[in-house]
Amino acid sequence: MRTSRGLLLTLALTPLLAGCFVAGAEGSGSDAEGGSAGRLRVALAVPPVQALSPYSNDATVLSKLSVAEGLTSLDKNGAAAPALAKSWRQTSDTTWTFELRKATFQNGTPVTAESVVNALGHADAAKPKPRVLSDVTLTAKADDADTVTIDTKAVDPVLPLRLASPALAILSDKAYAKDGTVSPVGTGTGPFKITKLTDKSKAALDRYDGYWGGKAKASGIDVTWIADGTARANALRGGDVDIAEWIPTAQAKLLDAKTRHEVPSVRTDSLVLNTGSGLFTDPALRAAAREAVDGSALVDSVFGGYADPAQGLFGPAVSWVTDKRVEVTGRAQAATTAQVEAGTKGKTLRLATYTNRTELPEAATVLQQQLEKAGFTVKQDVREYTRMEADLLAGKYDALVFSRVTLLDTGDAVAYLASDYTSDGVYNIARLKDAKVDEAIKAAAEEGDTTKRRQKIMAAEAEILRTDAVVPLIHEKVVQGISADVEGVLLDPRERSLIDVDTHLK
Amino acid sequence: MSVTSVGTEAGSSRWRVGLGRLAAGTALLTAVAMLPWLSGNDPALTVLRARSADQDPTPGQLAAVREQLGLDEGSFTHLAHWLGGLPRGDAGTSWVSGEAVLPQVTGAFAVSFTLMLGALVVTIAVAALVSARTLYLGSRRRLHRGSGAIGVAVLAALPKFLLASLLATVCGVWLGWFPSSGWAGPASMVLPALALGVPSGAMIGGLLDQALPAAFNEPWARTWYAYGFAPGRVARHALRRALAGVLPQLLPTVVALVGGAVAVEKIFNIPGLGRLALDAAIAQDLPPLQTATLALVLLGVVSGLLIRALRRALLGPALRDGALPALHAPAPSRGRFTRWAAVACALALLALVTGGLLRDPLHVDTAARLLPPSAAHPLGTDALGRDLLARLGHGALRTVGVALVVTAVCTLAGLVLGMAAQVGAGLTEVVATMPAVLAGLLTTAVTGPSAWGAALAVCLVGWTPYAAQAAALLEQERASGHMLASLSFGAGPGYLLRHHLLPAVLPPVLRNALLRLPTTVLVLASLGFLGLGEQPPTAEWGRLLSENQPYVELAPWTVLGPACALVLLSVLAVSGTDVVAVRRSASVRTS
Repeated sequence: MRTSRGLLLTLALTPLLAGCFVAGAEGSGSDAEGGSAGRLRVALAVPPVQALSPYSNDATVLSKLSVAEGLTSLDKNGAAAPALAKSWRQTSDTTWTFELRKATFQNGTPVTAESVVNALGHADAAKPKPRVLSDVTLTAKADDADTVTIDTKAVDPVLPLRLASPALAILSDKAYAKDGTVSPVGTGTGPFKITKLTDKSKAALDRYDGYWGGKAKASGIDVTWIADGTARANALRGGDVDIAEWIPTAQAKLLDAKTRHEVPSVRTDSLVLNTGSGLFTDPALRAAAREAVDGSALVDSVFGGYADPAQGLFGPAVSWVTDKRVEVTGRAQAATTAQVEAGTKGKTLRLATYTNRTELPEAATVLQQQLEKAGFTVKQDVREYTRMEADLLAGKYDALVFSRVTLLDTGDAVAYLASDYTSDGVYNIARLKDAKVDEAIKAAAEEGDTTKRRQKIMAAEAEILRTDAVVPLIHEKVVQGISADVEGVLLDPRERSLIDVDTHLK
Repeated sequence: MSVTSVGTEAGSSRWRVGLGRLAAGTALLTAVAMLPWLSGNDPALTVLRARSADQDPTPGQLAAVREQLGLDEGSFTHLAHWLGGLPRGDAGTSWVSGEAVLPQVTGAFAVSFTLMLGALVVTIAVAALVSARTLYLGSRRRLHRGSGAIGVAVLAALPKFLLASLLATVCGVWLGWFPSSGWAGPASMVLPALALGVPSGAMIGGLLDQALPAAFNEPWARTWYAYGFAPGRVARHALRRALAGVLPQLLPTVVALVGGAVAVEKIFNIPGLGRLALDAAIAQDLPPLQTATLALVLLGVVSGLLIRALRRALLGPALRDGALPALHAPAPSRGRFTRWAAVACALALLALVTGGLLRDPLHVDTAARLLPPSAAHPLGTDALGRDLLARLGHGALRTVGVALVVTAVCTLAGLVLGMAAQVGAGLTEVVATMPAVLAGLLTTAVTGPSAWGAALAVCLVGWTPYAAQAAALLEQERASGHMLASLSFGAGPGYLLRHHLLPAVLPPVLRNALLRLPTTVLVLASLGFLGLGEQPPTAEWGRLLSENQPYVELAPWTVLGPACALVLLSVLAVSGTDVVAVRRSASVRTS
């Protein structure tokens, strides 16, 4: 009697179990054909948040996997290069004309000026607006079938750079639903088209044979999102994937040297000091903190060698900065240890950082010791980023160990400087209000000539560093895990590209 | 508690239990629904952040999000709207992704539920192994010494995430026996089920092992043995008798893994409900969080009913008619080994603490990073070159102190709620499946980040195992013949409590609490990311384990030390109380 009851129970549960795994197996639907030659298996780190909508975090996935393209793209030096537009020229301060190349969407329809106007119009109307369009208003119109004219409300010298942003990818009309959602499934123009997206865990991509730049060498891509860094490294080591991005520094040493590829990243980690309230309103104390802190101590320890000591706000990943660096002058005299102790009497330095990047809490602990040596009394506050962002913006901390992308989606450094260091910057955690800094950033923003603009950016960097509102610590490096069987993976400091037409299995 | 009106009382109590469930579930869902408004964290900002990390939080952008989500309408409008959609099978759309919530939650639930069933199988297997000796010897009346609780304490003290990391590395990467991550078929279920099931199995097995001698000590067992019944038959019935008290533990221990296995889900990249709820909670994405909470509440209630039915089936009419014999353990006689183990653990911990207190736990030396154990650093150094012995020693008092206080509060709350069976049962079922993170979120919403917030949060959900256990044991005790005898002699409630109820309930609950001590340490540390608990760089055992987890393979000693300390603590607690219990019962006998 009892056994038969157990048996019944087992029988009743079997379909349930099977059902669960069928759902899972469907997700890996391409597993069956995964063995077929030429499909790349990729583990990405950040699971999709909005079903791969280009107006969200997911935009970079579209460019990393060569699914969608914009009018332009960025070349190695960070300059605009042709993509769907084969050429462009500036006809007036606020008007640009783009000539389209002959290309087709992945559903077979041709890319026309109308479809470009439509795509840019949707991006402009999106709510909330994509970050790349937050400081510009543009209107696009179709001159003829393959010419698009874009007008900007104010002068925008970096428009071609802006258009390379994955958020401004050109998708076919079918991608844009009435309710404002955008689906890149089968609507892009790139060499790979998404055929299936399973929740936040898997996606399957096939080669798009009609790509204007020729057929891709790989027949398809199977994407798995693995949020945990150790699990990503394990997947690569266990041979479950061919490419695993962002291997944490703690795991990098475990990878075979042949599969470990380091790329300088445009991320700079720095100590941001709150100039608006608390201890660090005093420039002498800020200077003392700057002198006390030694970012190079973090390079070999916390970052396991996968970082460069800081040279300024912009690191070696921004290729043009090296010969344009402006010397910082006019800094405040640093307070001595005795002065620090006297000046901070009874006050603790509230040092914040967040857990989202595993290295930051470790870095904060090293910095705490360095600051204490200089006479500060330090108390840490470490939380998940979203749990403290409001407090950060409200100036509730004295210092923050902060990891920041210095080239935002415009690919232009001014956007970062303006949002983080101008007196009306929306991301001004340092609460810096300095007329000279504002002026220098404004001058850089208005400059149209590339070389001069870069010079002015570096001048603004020096102005910012002069205030000691931010102490750059290190420039991060990203470790990409790439199996020895794969050739042609793009190692992009901006983390925008990874796989293109030439990437393939040996 | 009158015996005459059993029928009507059963009817009304069923109503009251049902009402208790409804009230508890409603209260919980309402609290969750108010989270984004209570938390002081602007949901518009967290949602914007979840959608796009680089997005500038300009007032205009935040207003756009607020308008899109209708955040100004307030929590009750949203709750009503969400509830209104449920009968139509519509649980709303995610604030972050804009996609329908129900398919996501049901998918994740199915995955987590399957994983839980796998863990249940492992749990049963491990529990069977743990209690096999007692069962075998007891059914043959050769059980003269209690079995060692040490193995049980060791297994139960193993941190699940550490076990998961270890299994993923060894069996997944090195040996390649199973996939190291993913959810593609039964093979990918093996390692996570083991990681979740082994400690749970040790816990359940430990409790069963403690209850079995009492069952074998009952008159029927002696009679059956004397009549020459087959040992298997005696064993089966003793098991049936002991299981009834242990079964309710499955709810907070195994069923709760559906929502509470976040760490293991992360390590094995399993798209389960725990991760979904956590992501939703961090982004303050209310509809998925609400729906996940509802799913967990329903799961708790259904499993509670199932377990109740199973217990009724095991104990049968005896429970209803108040004709159970009392389940009292014979005077335990633990071997000398247990005593030695307790002494050895105490000495080892003492050495650890004194050795550690003489050193500096905060001194960072980036040049001495991840050094293996040596004369200078007996337990090695961590990733920042801090001495691990020092960190263990300095963390001991705080860790053990907080964990003991939390456990004491939870045990007390559990006992009280377990005795108030009718209110408590519903509440226990509803809360048992809640992940501690949810309690942490509710706590931060009310108190803000604080040092004692973690303890408070764990207390909010940590009492369920004890309440479930106490309720089950009390039900059996109340149904026992000698209670009836005491009652008819005119015993008052105070007398019953002191002489019958507490003696029956306290020892097993205490054993349970001590077996859960290491888990409590880890759960306390796991809430750190919410800003709850002591902030770094303060040394604390749970934090030591979690901050060194990435270095498991590169520098195993960084986690070995803290893990061994936890095991020592667990063994000391369990064997120590055993020794005390033996002493006391011995002194009672001689007096």
